Amino acid sequence: MIAAVLNLVALGRDRPSEIDALFGLIKLAALPIGIGAFMAFVFGLWLVHEADYSYGDGWVVAAIVLFVIFAAAGSFGGRRDDATRRLAHELAEEGDAPSAVIRRRVRDPLSLALSYGAGILMVAVLALMVWKPGA
Amino acid sequence: MIAAIRPDSWNLPLFLHILGSVVLFGTTGAIALAAFGARRRPEHAPLLSRVAFRTFLFGVIPSWILMRVDAQWIDNKEFPHNEPGWVGYGYAVSEGGGLLLIVVGILAWLWARNNGTGPKKNLAIGILSSIVLVALGVAWFAMSAKP
Repeated sequence: MIAAVLNLVALGRDRPSEIDALFGLIKLAALPIGIGAFMAFVFGLWLVHEADYSYGDGWVVAAIVLFVIFAAAGSFGGRRDDATRRLAHELAEEGDAPSAVIRRRVRDPLSLALSYGAGILMVAVLALMVWKPGA
Repeated sequence: MIAAIRPDSWNLPLFLHILGSVVLFGTTGAIALAAFGARRRPEHAPLLSRVAFRTFLFGVIPSWILMRVDAQWIDNKEFPHNEPGWVGYGYAVSEGGGLLLIVVGILAWLWARNNGTGPKKNLAIGILSSIVLVALGVAWFAMSAKP
């Protein structure tokens, strides 16, 4: 959510120093987000055991698969965003003129699909946890 | 085991309550990050002040309403007569946190109106938002562990 808010703001900016600042904040948030996601995964698996569900239940398998795709998408998207931040930093040091290159990088469809797709997958995992289809 | 025997009619309010809470936590975190970020990069304070205020307006307010309305919805379904003590923690955090968030919103509005000037404003916004984040974490524990 934090990354989505800052990314949305970055979509409307074209000064490299502003992109650098916004993506820098996303990078700051990335570590706690990663730790939180890892803990949710580990404690989620523990909870499946404690609540006497089976790891073979369809909704549990689906949630694990979606979570792994979420983690991969978030990681790839994060790396692409970090490359964009480094480019923005370089352009900011070279005069900070509005740049079509950085604008294209911020609006890169693959990066956006990875980042926002990861968010949608988390909502899907939450829905599986609540409705537990087939349980 | 309550999860295993939860009636299907409770699922939608529970889902919306958790979704609202997650969005509330994330948007409050974004405000804290923008406020502290402006102290680190003061040249971008005007932009970050607008980020904080708009996030409050379009993120925090709707998600707080979603979280709070659905909390009441599921509370009415699950505990129509006597509610256990742990539900009270949730209400204390949502109401108390709501009041703190109103203060955050007013400060964010003043900060954005002054084009990001006033280092005390962003410090206060950052600290108050962080307190709300900790309180939401406590409520999260109370809702999960039901002490």
